[in-house]
Amino acid sequence: MTTLALFAMLFAFLILGLPVAIALGLSAILTILFFSNDSLASVVLKLFEALSEHYTLLAIPFFILSSAFLSSGGIARRLIRFAIAVIGHVRGGLAMASVLACMLFAAVSGSSPATVAAIGSIVIGGMVKAGYPEKFAAGVIANAGTLGILIPPSIVMLVYAAATEVSAARMFAAGLLPGLAMGLMLMIAIYVAARIKRLPRQKWAGLGEIADAAWRASGGLLLVVIVMGAIYGDIASPTEAAAISALYAFLVAVLFYRDIGPLKNVAWRQPDEALAAAALRNGVRMVLALAQSGTDSEVRQTVLAGAKTSIMLLFVIANAMLFAHVLTTERIPHGIAEAITSWGLSPWQFLIVVNIVLLIAGNFMEPSAILLIMAPILFPIATQLGIDPIHLGIIMVVNMEIGMITPPVGLNLFVTAGITGRSMTWVMAAALPWLAILLIFLAIVTYVPQLSLFLPELMDQMRGIK
Amino acid sequence: MIPRFLRGVEESLIALLLVAMTLLVTIEVILRYGFSSGLLWIQELTLLLAAYLVLLGAAYGVKKGAHIGMDMAVRRLAPRWRRMAGVLAVLLCLLYCGLFIAGSWDYLAKIKRFGIELEDLPVPQWLAHGVLLVGFGLLVIRFLELLWKIINKRAEGVLIADEAADAVDAVDAVDDVETEGESRKGGPE
Repeated sequence: MTTLALFAMLFAFLILGLPVAIALGLSAILTILFFSNDSLASVVLKLFEALSEHYTLLAIPFFILSSAFLSSGGIARRLIRFAIAVIGHVRGGLAMASVLACMLFAAVSGSSPATVAAIGSIVIGGMVKAGYPEKFAAGVIANAGTLGILIPPSIVMLVYAAATEVSAARMFAAGLLPGLAMGLMLMIAIYVAARIKRLPRQKWAGLGEIADAAWRASGGLLLVVIVMGAIYGDIASPTEAAAISALYAFLVAVLFYRDIGPLKNVAWRQPDEALAAAALRNGVRMVLALAQSGTDSEVRQTVLAGAKTSIMLLFVIANAMLFAHVLTTERIPHGIAEAITSWGLSPWQFLIVVNIVLLIAGNFMEPSAILLIMAPILFPIATQLGIDPIHLGIIMVVNMEIGMITPPVGLNLFVTAGITGRSMTWVMAAALPWLAILLIFLAIVTYVPQLSLFLPELMDQMRGIK
Repeated sequence: MIPRFLRGVEESLIALLLVAMTLLVTIEVILRYGFSSGLLWIQELTLLLAAYLVLLGAAYGVKKGAHIGMDMAVRRLAPRWRRMAGVLAVLLCLLYCGLFIAGSWDYLAKIKRFGIELEDLPVPQWLAHGVLLVGFGLLVIRFLELLWKIINKRAEGVLIADEAADAVDAVDAVDDVETEGESRKGGPE
């Protein structure tokens, strides 16, 4: 009865067009008011705890801030140029380069929509100009953008870690190989499609261009090294690595690339300027710029954009935690777990059920909220069946990726529609053929646990040796 | 309407909170590696600032139409029914705020009676957590504002406020030029 009321209210509120966060929070607090003896004060305490007691979740605003600087600065553009230099000369190369650029951007950002926005806004137009059908270009980007949450760092993985108390660093390690595998699958599919559709190739630009593009993109590529190195090398926690990466992204965008902020259009070296004079001028200007950034309107807008996204997401997460709290106090996960265990499912059958439930849920809710609600239900059953929690986490992440390109709440579809100026229906049709690849990939991830578990186990062994 | 200078304060405060959090965590890392020391209160303060960011920022998100949700069903309705649904949605949001304000009042009164301080910071807990009342209070103001707009046909609902809010922003930008970049929709997501 309570369960029914809880979910009925949630769906009614969602359909009525309430924000996801408030729909979750309101159905939770009303359920407590009517069906439980807990006081309103205890609910408020829970909400405050959800906001202020999860150190892992702090990484989310930092990674979002870092993405904001990376997208507003020209880092995305430089990563794309590098990707095109490397792989553009193959048939369908521009599309493959877009996938590679998405993979690189995913490795510095933790969000799928951010990846689509940063890379898609540049490459979709570029592909169309080079003779690709716009539908093809949009479909590739909407799908490749989902890599944002699979290739670490990943916001969704942080949420899973917070919900299940699995180590976020191990989740990040687990996502790397599946992320590379999915990027490779997309590229192979593009190559096949390009052969059939006779899509163009770019001219081979030469090793010189690769080296030059790599040098210019190094500000962004180095961030991959810093974030991954800090987390995998046990130097910093994901939260600390995220804060450092936000600071680094600011410094690179404002001081070195100078695409935004007080140093915009200030040349590194003016014609006929002596090297020492240029070094002195740049040094002074850069120190000054740090102070000027405080009042610079572009820097301010970038921080504000990052803050807005973070607030929205953290508000959803806090309310989803409240909702999950009601579920647990009503012993709902326990009941469902008992029911499912009594069916006597084998692990692989259970994983099919998991995938189906998550694929359906992914159509209606925000990924972080689904994880927070579903993880407490699925986690104990999986443990009982001997499924590794990390493996379960990666399966859930891949399901959320699929949810991002299926209506009605597919965030990537919204972003792609926004970039191309096309309707949602058009974008859906564009993304559909590529959905098949994601589903095949989901099957592989589900039934080849080694793909996810190899790296985290390797990390454990290396730690054992140390 | 909220006065113009207060709006600037709201945006600056939000940006400042996020920057402060980033710097605090960075300082913690520098202290650990550079000076092999740490300050206990940094982590507590950072987490507290995160709660402030979300609670004070939620209202700002309503104004900016940043909160996500599913508007497919509502969009299909005829304009008149869509407005009715919008009014109902905002009223439910106000109910949410009301319940949380009542709960916050009880909660804050209780911890004030106990007179507890925060773990590492010498601040009374009720004062630090008092931001709950401020945050939900701001939300109430924003939702009332939105309700007024829907009744006057200047907005359609909580989520559909998006386009309407942009239009309003554009109008605001005309009458005050110093809020630069307002109409530019920046950032990822």
